[in-house]
Amino acid sequence: MRAPAPAWAADLNGETIEAVRATLGTALIDAVDQVGEVALYVERDAIVTVLTALRDTPGLEYQQLMEIAGVDYPDRPERFEVVYCLLSLTRNHRLHVHVSTDDVKPVPSVTGIWPVAGWLEREVYDMYGVLFAGNADLRRILTDYGFRGHPQRKDFPLSGFVEMRYSEEAKRVVYQPVQLAQDFRNFDFQSPWEGAQYVLPGDEKGMVPEAKGAPTPLKADEIVKADAPSKPQAGSTTHEPKTTDSTAQTGAGEPDPGNQRQDKPRDSDVVPTKGGGQNQ
Amino acid sequence: MSDYVDELMHVTDAADPTTGDVTIQNYTINFGPQHPAAHGVLRLVMELDGEIIERIDPHVGLLHRGTEKLIEYKTYAQAIPYFDRLDYCSPMCMEHTFVLAIEKLLDIEVPIRAQYLRVFFAELTRISNHMLNLGSHVMDVGAMTPNLWLFEIREDCYNFLERASGARMHHNYMRPGGVHQDVPLKLLTDIADWLDTRLPRLFEDAISLVADNRIFKQRNVDIAVVSREDAIAWGFSGPMIRAAGIPWDLRKSQPYDVYDRMEFDIPVGTKGDCYDRFMVRVEEVRQSARIMKQCLRDMPEGPIASSDRKVVPPKRAEMKQSMEALIHHFKLYTEGYHVPAGEVYVATESPKGEFGVFLVSDGSNKPYRCKIRPTAFSHLQAMDFMSRGHMLADTTAILGAMDIVFGECDR
Amino acid sequence: MTLTSTPVELDRSAAATSLVPPDQGFFDSLNGELTDKGFLVTSTEDLFQWARTGSLWWMTFGLACCAVEMIHVNMPRYDLERFGAAPRASPRQSDVMIVAGTLCNKMAPALRKVYDQMSEPKYVISMGSCANGGGYYHFSYSVVRGCDRVVPVDIYVPGCPPTAEALLYGIMQLQRKIRRSGSIER
Repeated sequence: MRAPAPAWAADLNGETIEAVRATLGTALIDAVDQVGEVALYVERDAIVTVLTALRDTPGLEYQQLMEIAGVDYPDRPERFEVVYCLLSLTRNHRLHVHVSTDDVKPVPSVTGIWPVAGWLEREVYDMYGVLFAGNADLRRILTDYGFRGHPQRKDFPLSGFVEMRYSEEAKRVVYQPVQLAQDFRNFDFQSPWEGAQYVLPGDEKGMVPEAKGAPTPLKADEIVKADAPSKPQAGSTTHEPKTTDSTAQTGAGEPDPGNQRQDKPRDSDVVPTKGGGQNQ
Repeated sequence: MSDYVDELMHVTDAADPTTGDVTIQNYTINFGPQHPAAHGVLRLVMELDGEIIERIDPHVGLLHRGTEKLIEYKTYAQAIPYFDRLDYCSPMCMEHTFVLAIEKLLDIEVPIRAQYLRVFFAELTRISNHMLNLGSHVMDVGAMTPNLWLFEIREDCYNFLERASGARMHHNYMRPGGVHQDVPLKLLTDIADWLDTRLPRLFEDAISLVADNRIFKQRNVDIAVVSREDAIAWGFSGPMIRAAGIPWDLRKSQPYDVYDRMEFDIPVGTKGDCYDRFMVRVEEVRQSARIMKQCLRDMPEGPIASSDRKVVPPKRAEMKQSMEALIHHFKLYTEGYHVPAGEVYVATESPKGEFGVFLVSDGSNKPYRCKIRPTAFSHLQAMDFMSRGHMLADTTAILGAMDIVFGECDR
Repeated sequence: MTLTSTPVELDRSAAATSLVPPDQGFFDSLNGELTDKGFLVTSTEDLFQWARTGSLWWMTFGLACCAVEMIHVNMPRYDLERFGAAPRASPRQSDVMIVAGTLCNKMAPALRKVYDQMSEPKYVISMGSCANGGGYYHFSYSVVRGCDRVVPVDIYVPGCPPTAEALLYGIMQLQRKIRRSGSIER
């Protein structure tokens, strides 16, 4: 890690994953160490037991729940991911626990373990429509009273569906369908001549990032910097140096016998002068 | 007939009150959303028994601006100013977290002078934030003068920050890989003078008016006591958890930038009441000044931004000379840099507590998801149990000692 | 690196004294009349305008970032009260509302209610780009795109946030506007 990010005990990542595997058993789907952070993927129905175990097991001791974040991946069969960010004050370690769900399957509430989860779950419900079974107070929290929809979903438009104004007739503030004087400018960074696809020889070399504006294929934990110590690549082909010793290598071939200077026909009109100029 | 006798003897039935009886029932009053002591747009629905608070239901979201959604539609560079506007009392500390999160995904190095500058200005912002909070807390419980003096310090901070970044409030000074501009030497010397003379004079004067003041103590001591266990379970952080007696400071335990080179102490409360929270912040101001002096002493010369040309745009002077620089400048300010895919949760010690960013990148030039962890959310949620059994007038003291800013709470 | 400098001294030279305060001519003529005759004859129109511009008590409607600058303009360095503008917490007592910050959908009914509670004549200053037209949050699903959709606005102060000086100038512009317009009906 070269970036000056907060230096918690990331060297405990390996042993944490082992301890978690031993503790959680089948409830754990996957445990990965990405970008120096431990992410656990667990079964949705086991989240309460998992988080209780993470809090109470000696050697894990995640006392604080700092954050519950929702993420929307519309392509997945269970489109929402709920991420619990935990902090251990005693081991100085952080961890996130991922659970996937959709808009009908409820996630068990963890308000029984941490009372702070109450509002955090309300926020995820408000933003994504994820249901939490067991949260006694699952109201909207951030959006307007009577708001429709869940704004952080990827299919919810940025400007929403309604906007607000004061109606002189009704003498109160009313909602009306959204009308924008100017649309939000969303650039796609495509060159105008990129759609035509004139394939020229040598284009295959430039194919690696597919198009301008396309996602970079790099992963954050796989970046290798140019000045980082690199290991030699195995199996690389050795190049033979190019030489131009013979005409076969240069491609020039033998001179044509009838193309010598003395073989050219002489022009009688032009008499070379003393200085050798062409016109005089 | 018996009714008549009862009436003559003033015997009344509680279930059937008649004229002249006083029925006592719980009041439900609405505090806010427009209230000068609410520190913004907070609405508290309070259930009162006389003047004793029985239950508080805070309604937040009155300043919900959809920041997280907007960030998903902006490139990383365009998203940094949103962080200034989250906690508008300490803008630089908000940027700091976001920039650190991007750097963690990009894995780029930051020159040492840039790290010093970031820490330096983050601490200056911390002083400026605490001036607002201490001043308004004092004002909420009835004192006027200290606020006037503390705001004079705040004006000084704004002047310095304006000289560094060009803006009084929303600085947009930090960048992934460093900071935007180097600072002139005169600015550093002026801040050094200010730290030695003006800050201690004004600050200690103002605090000496309230710290031992009898009225101030009556309003704050033993109000809203929070135990260590509660502080942990309710996700407290920053001065709130330190006032409860837990020496937990992310600058110390999880140092970022050059905080590991700094020498400073963590103030800890003994009781966990409003007065402890106030005094923890007072001491933090002194420690921040100490950190800033160390920065001034140790700050080396050198570059102020990373040399990674694919992230940090070239300077304008260079852009006029070099075609390559011009292309990079254009690309970085239109398309921006692409951040490798990954998920990070980066949290720093903002003046109010742990401010975190859960950043999900899909490899494009815009964040896929940027969840902001506000400090105020967990603190304000605890408002209910903290103020239960206290008087109505204590609400402002409790709220003032929490240090809540709604730009950050509602996002 | 050596850290030596002298404290910055304010230059109180001739440039500061040659500043002419706004409306100096107006006050000079008043003063002359008073010393000449010992009493003043004025129209009710002028009297009302003098009273209105001289005590613009404003409603503290701090919504977001701009509220901090709004507090700054009241603090000793800018000292708004020398213009007779003092903060009031209650809409019933105030003449002008400074909408300082982003107006969100959830807050809009409260804003309108507070405006309706203010007594006539009432003025509104819209402070900052968010209140002027949505600003940086214009395209958000939860933001009113300009507070003039909810309340009528007299003065717009641009900036994100406007500096304290800018707000001070906006208040002086409002005084000028009040002086210019008739007092019986707005």
